[in-house]
Amino acid sequence: MADLFEGYPVGVAWDEVLDADGRPREHSAPLVDALRELSPEDLDVRAAALASAFRDQGITFSLSGEERPFPLDVVPRVVDADEWDLVERGVSQRVRALEAFLADMAGEQAVLGDRVVPRRVVVSSSAHAPAAHGIVPPNGVRVHVSGIDLIRDEQGRFCVLEDNLRTPSGVSYVIENRRAMTRVFPELLATHRVRPVADYPAMLLAALRAAAPEGVLDPTVVVLTPGVFNSAYFEHSLLARLMGVELVEGRDLVCRDGEVWMRTTGGEQRVDVVYRRIDDDFLDPLHFRPDSLVGCPGLLNAARGGRVTLANAVGNGVADDKLVYTYVPELVRYYLGEEPLLPNVDTYRCEDPDQLPEVLDRLDQLVLKPVDGSGGKGLVIGPQASDEELATLRAQLEADPRGWIAQRVIQLSTSPTKTPDGIAPRHVDLRPFAVNDGDRVWVLPGGLTRVALPEGSLVVNSSQGGGSKDTWVLARDEVVAEGETTHDDLLPAAPEGRLLDMGNAVLADQQQQQQQGRVTC
Amino acid sequence: MSWRLRIRHTTGYAYDTPVLASFNEARLTPVTDVDQLTLEAQVVTSPEAEQQRYWDYWGTQVTAFDVHRPHSRLVVTATSVVDTADARPAPVVSGWDAVRSPEVRDRFVEMLTPTERTRPDEEMVVLARKAVEGLDPHDAAMAVMALAHERVAYRPGSTGVATSAQEAWSQGSGVCQDIAHVTVALLRAVGLPASYVSGYLHPRREAAIGQTVTGESHAWVEVWLGGWWAYDPTNTVPAGERHVVVGRGRDYADVPPLKGLFSGGGGHRLDVTVEVTRLQ
Repeated sequence: MADLFEGYPVGVAWDEVLDADGRPREHSAPLVDALRELSPEDLDVRAAALASAFRDQGITFSLSGEERPFPLDVVPRVVDADEWDLVERGVSQRVRALEAFLADMAGEQAVLGDRVVPRRVVVSSSAHAPAAHGIVPPNGVRVHVSGIDLIRDEQGRFCVLEDNLRTPSGVSYVIENRRAMTRVFPELLATHRVRPVADYPAMLLAALRAAAPEGVLDPTVVVLTPGVFNSAYFEHSLLARLMGVELVEGRDLVCRDGEVWMRTTGGEQRVDVVYRRIDDDFLDPLHFRPDSLVGCPGLLNAARGGRVTLANAVGNGVADDKLVYTYVPELVRYYLGEEPLLPNVDTYRCEDPDQLPEVLDRLDQLVLKPVDGSGGKGLVIGPQASDEELATLRAQLEADPRGWIAQRVIQLSTSPTKTPDGIAPRHVDLRPFAVNDGDRVWVLPGGLTRVALPEGSLVVNSSQGGGSKDTWVLARDEVVAEGETTHDDLLPAAPEGRLLDMGNAVLADQQQQQQQGRVTC
Repeated sequence: MSWRLRIRHTTGYAYDTPVLASFNEARLTPVTDVDQLTLEAQVVTSPEAEQQRYWDYWGTQVTAFDVHRPHSRLVVTATSVVDTADARPAPVVSGWDAVRSPEVRDRFVEMLTPTERTRPDEEMVVLARKAVEGLDPHDAAMAVMALAHERVAYRPGSTGVATSAQEAWSQGSGVCQDIAHVTVALLRAVGLPASYVSGYLHPRREAAIGQTVTGESHAWVEVWLGGWWAYDPTNTVPAGERHVVVGRGRDYADVPPLKGLFSGGGGHRLDVTVEVTRLQ
């Protein structure tokens, strides 16, 4: 039988499965052995089965307005228990530090007074939201859900690439990838002791309930989505279904006298916790964009009055701004008195007049990222950019240095991936998801491994032609392997009762000019 | 000498067809600080509505309320009694280092950064810098205020609520909101932290006690000269006993007296009156 790994090249990048001599790393030996048992034809069949499973369920992402399947690679990524232990502790540490930073910024701002972070860096962030000032989250949590993007450098070290503390998406792929792999590759899973990911909705629901306003014994939680045209709508509906809570749009909610109500066929129902998947800018037209039709006016003041909890909190974006990112290791030391377990990628602050000239000198060697871009949007990889692109970039940088950071080009680790020409190394990253219930930061054992499908590509975002891999975190030897549970066992069925469609109310601005031309002044 | 002023600010919206629901925030309550004491303040709405009060990021007291029954007219009446103080002498500032140090620039970065409404165009920057050449910070601030006053004539009705500093500058006219925006833009352009102040003005220097006159919702500026100093560029006087401060921010958008959203209603007409009475 042909060896699927024959001719698998070992490059500069760290390979997740094979070491520099082409031998399987210890934790990946069972995977390599199992794959070697398979014929290329067999692998093709499994891959086709995975693809059709996704297509049938409508798991897609939208690329420039067009819905496409989000390809799941047939070869899983296996993470060893010890390594995961570091990831888990490192992610949790980071989230705790970022929570402390957000709480400090909402309060006495000691971090600015102590000159750990310049004030200008925080208030110049496009996510800085003065309108949310004074909202005190009931259990102190602002980052209920986060996705911390990790990469592995050439030495195999996990580093943090960026933090996502607003409305991070992708966890639905983690859940669905596992479901599909369980169906299509049961014997491969059986050779590994893989920690389950199906607990996620239960953990999320518990954290959301724990965040409810004080005195609410049996909180009503809803998932607020911008609607079916949003690229993550599938995820919003999946999470609502798996948590057994209502999926609502802005027009289904009404704020009245500081309380939030949901319109249902059974009448109006009080809402206590809103897991909102709408960006700050569109959440409440009274405070943010007045033309937003997907939000609900009054939400922010209801949260300010302590009658409803918004998860995640409004204004979290100042903590995941990519310029603020460069200060996070300092924040970990400042707030927690600990050394960061997961280092940052070395980053230039273009905003710093001392660092900008070096960046401009080496544009063709660096990766340039807009500070508020997500999903790889606006990112420029210097070595791959044309002279024209570099010239445009230079002008943008000179006009708005605060808008950019620069990093060296890191050869992200590779993982064996099925390609039309057999198994070949492709670059991957990892987004672990963390849920903070106020008592602890729980990290879902798994996370989303994204893979850059074109050969040599370093851009893994789904919006940039990436796919994903099921991420298998191995259980420790001494722990009795946890059985694969399905969410159907864990959670109640979704409640009955359809939402009333009230149509979009036309919201018009009313404001008055200062001193509308009268007598004296 | 300090004055005691009573202010009654009435804002009425009349809608062409009934409004089904409206969400509003009023910034109409004067501040209490070292120069001003607010003795009484209330906001009354018709139709009646439950009110929520909070202090926003900029330190302004906000009264939020929403109305959920059909109404063709919304009236918001804010009344207050306030003790004001004489204008302060401008702080004595030793030199530019004191107002342009990295510490000052970082502390007041929000009052140094142009906003959408206060972004100067090139001509404004050039003329402002030319006007302050060789001057110390205090004289520079005075020169910039004079420039704003000179270039933007006070002309009621020549601008709207959303007019920017650039627009008012290039058309050469505006109301006090515009003159304040232009002044703030020019001050920031020469490196002086500046904020927009929203409040009221008693129109008469020699105000008779007990006489109620028509006043103004007014706007002026504060500039950092080693300490904040309030100046009214529309009337070219330091802000003093005739000025009542309601809020401070980067520009109008941070301190709108009333802002809101309503559903239904079609078009609407606005009617505003401010009555001021000097009580002592």
